[in-house]
Amino acid sequence: MTEVLAAIALGVPSTVVVTALAFAMGAVLGVPLALARRSGPAPLRWLAQALIDVLRGIPPVVWLFFIYFGLGNDVVRIEPLVAGTVGLGLIASAYLAEVYRGGLLAVHAGQQEAAEALGLSPGTTLARVVGPQAVRVALPGAATYLIGLLKDSSIVSTIGVTEMVFRANAVSRSTGDGLMPFLVAAALYIVLSAPLAWASRSLDARLRRRVAR
Amino acid sequence: MSAHAPPRPGVPVSLQNLHKRYGDHVVLEDVSLDVAAGEVVAMIGPSGAGKSTALRCTNLLETPDGGRIVVGDQVVDAGAGVSQADTMKLRRTAGMVFQSFNLFPHLTVLRNVSLAQERVLGRSRRDADARSRELLARVGLESKADTYPGRSSGGQQQRIAIARALALDPHVMLFDEPTSALDPELGLDVLEVMRELADEGMTMIVVTHEMHFARDVSDRVVVMADGGIVESGPPAQVLADPQHERTRRFLRAVMDR
Repeated sequence: MTEVLAAIALGVPSTVVVTALAFAMGAVLGVPLALARRSGPAPLRWLAQALIDVLRGIPPVVWLFFIYFGLGNDVVRIEPLVAGTVGLGLIASAYLAEVYRGGLLAVHAGQQEAAEALGLSPGTTLARVVGPQAVRVALPGAATYLIGLLKDSSIVSTIGVTEMVFRANAVSRSTGDGLMPFLVAAALYIVLSAPLAWASRSLDARLRRRVAR
Repeated sequence: MSAHAPPRPGVPVSLQNLHKRYGDHVVLEDVSLDVAAGEVVAMIGPSGAGKSTALRCTNLLETPDGGRIVVGDQVVDAGAGVSQADTMKLRRTAGMVFQSFNLFPHLTVLRNVSLAQERVLGRSRRDADARSRELLARVGLESKADTYPGRSSGGQQQRIAIARALALDPHVMLFDEPTSALDPELGLDVLEVMRELADEGMTMIVVTHEMHFARDVSDRVVVMADGGIVESGPPAQVLADPQHERTRRFLRAVMDR
């Protein structure tokens, strides 16, 4: 039991790193995608929408195989961790772009107008007036996505990233025990996701209290 | 109260032959209006008459399809692709107050008033905050400076919005139904602040349904209907002895309420 736990726990750093980096990548790339989708010139809007649809329309595991086996070859070797992070990060950018867009749409049009009437530039309006309010609305959705990503990051085991599920699988094969290793992995996922859920709830409540009417 | 206000801040405003349509719907049809420096004009008329659109054209929140806007020494020709710089300059000159206040809910009252001073006028945060406190004191709400707008009543929020608009030291103030969203009692403090502004010589264009304000404070009442100005004159005359049938019908409806 202890050895099983120890063996699987070795995968925690990979799980955390893939999740955190992919989310960070998606959180950053999602911003231009959401902005282009919302208020870019028409061709840019279409391009952003097409990108979002393609990224979301293809199963994550296909993206990972495509990047790892398709782009990686004997000449260009892509590390599984890198391929997994980039693949999940790209997909995250599409989902988070939609989450951000929902946040932007929820900001009352009067806010934009008031900022315009005060002579604020479009950049300042976004950074100081509309953006912060949109983020507050988008936060629960983004947090839900992060928790989902933590669990779904397990698919990077399919391209050989030695994270928790990969290790649980390995332990299961070597011991012939199909139950315990996966129970342990399940417990570890709960341990990792519970603080995220708690943090997002308390952050959300705090922001809500501040802007309460 | 007015110790910090520049003396006689107002500049003249001239709207010349404004046209505006949305698809087939004509919103403004050849609207021309000259407002003298320091004059207070009340714009009244039924909803859909184009009052708000005319007001919003004055600071280019709406772009007219044709016509010319003159504010002080700035001339903007609507047909000729208005530059971003001209738009910004115009908005710095004309403060605007909305029916629904539109305060920034995520910023404290003080930051609401300071933000544009820093970003548009380039004031330091310290100078901007100091000026904001003066302006909040002027509208009687200095005590609210460090709270969030959501903690204030509608009437207080509108006074904060006036302070925010005054923070750029405008020469014209545009009011779009500033008391329509307020209980009559709460609107009184807002109207009082507006009256003080008028007394200080601010040029003001006020779209309003407050006939008291139109009668007691404005220098002139302009009646709009169906995208045009149908009547204009001293409040006593327009309100007591309207010449145009459209005005008579509108006033009957308002007085009956």
